[in-house]
Amino acid sequence: MNSSTSPPDTMHPQLMLLMELQDLRSQYRELEQDEGAAPVEEEHFHIDPAEAREQLQAKVSELEERLDPQVRARYERISPQRDRVVVPVINGVCYGCFVSIATATVGDQDVHQELQSCENCGSFIYVVS
Amino acid sequence: MKLRKLFTPESVELNLSSESKDEVLKELIQLLGLDEKSEAILFKTLKRRENLGSTGIGKGIAIPHCRSLVVNELRLAYGRKPEGMDFQAIDDEPVHNLFLIVAPPLEVSNQYLPVLGKIAQFAKDPEIPAKLEEIQKPEEFLALLEERAP
Ligand SMILES: [Zn+2]
Repeated sequence: MNSSTSPPDTMHPQLMLLMELQDLRSQYRELEQDEGAAPVEEEHFHIDPAEAREQLQAKVSELEERLDPQVRARYERISPQRDRVVVPVINGVCYGCFVSIATATVGDQDVHQELQSCENCGSFIYVVS
Repeated sequence: MKLRKLFTPESVELNLSSESKDEVLKELIQLLGLDEKSEAILFKTLKRRENLGSTGIGKGIAIPHCRSLVVNELRLAYGRKPEGMDFQAIDDEPVHNLFLIVAPPLEVSNQYLPVLGKIAQFAKDPEIPAKLEEIQKPEEFLALLEERAP
């Protein structure tokens, strides 16, 4: 890993944003549930779950503003909960729907390419090398 | 779930070289052996968790943790900084022992939170810091988990 905090320049910046968004949403969702992270975060880490959710939501809104309009429209369409917006493709298999993806669409995703999505389930995909 | 089973010798680093919080998070992430893109995403997500409040829980222990789509199973790493480092811990004391916990967004087996609780419990055992200090090889760390977190 290089020492700068910027993303590797081979990654599509919009894909990076989508992945960050989904991670933020995962943390948010879990802090909502009583049987989720909230009690653990309170007990061991002295986190106020309501306050933490507010901070996470603010960050989510900020990142959503940075999505290109077409990407944002798809992002909002894919899943109402947006918990599976971006999924990995491992060995040619989409981990959103577990269907093999044509190898032609599973090239390197760099800044010069369009964002790719799974033809079967519609999720944005990122290829795990 | 036994904690021992969640670590491998490769996920244990007894001499972390980083001096700053950001660098040490990256060093811990590297122990998981992810690709570069995944490392970058995970770093951002862990940082955002730290921004909510330090995972330095006091007594020299930090447990950075998050859910991230870059892993597809629960992943853990342990790093030791013998001389200690500033991690903005809740007690403002230097941190020596760092446990990294990363879980996928959704898990069938729901191990993440119980494991997070177990690690916190293990690390807070008053006898553990001295035992961690004595460790010479990753295998001894695994043996300590086996013994103290059965
Ligand atoms: Zn799919």
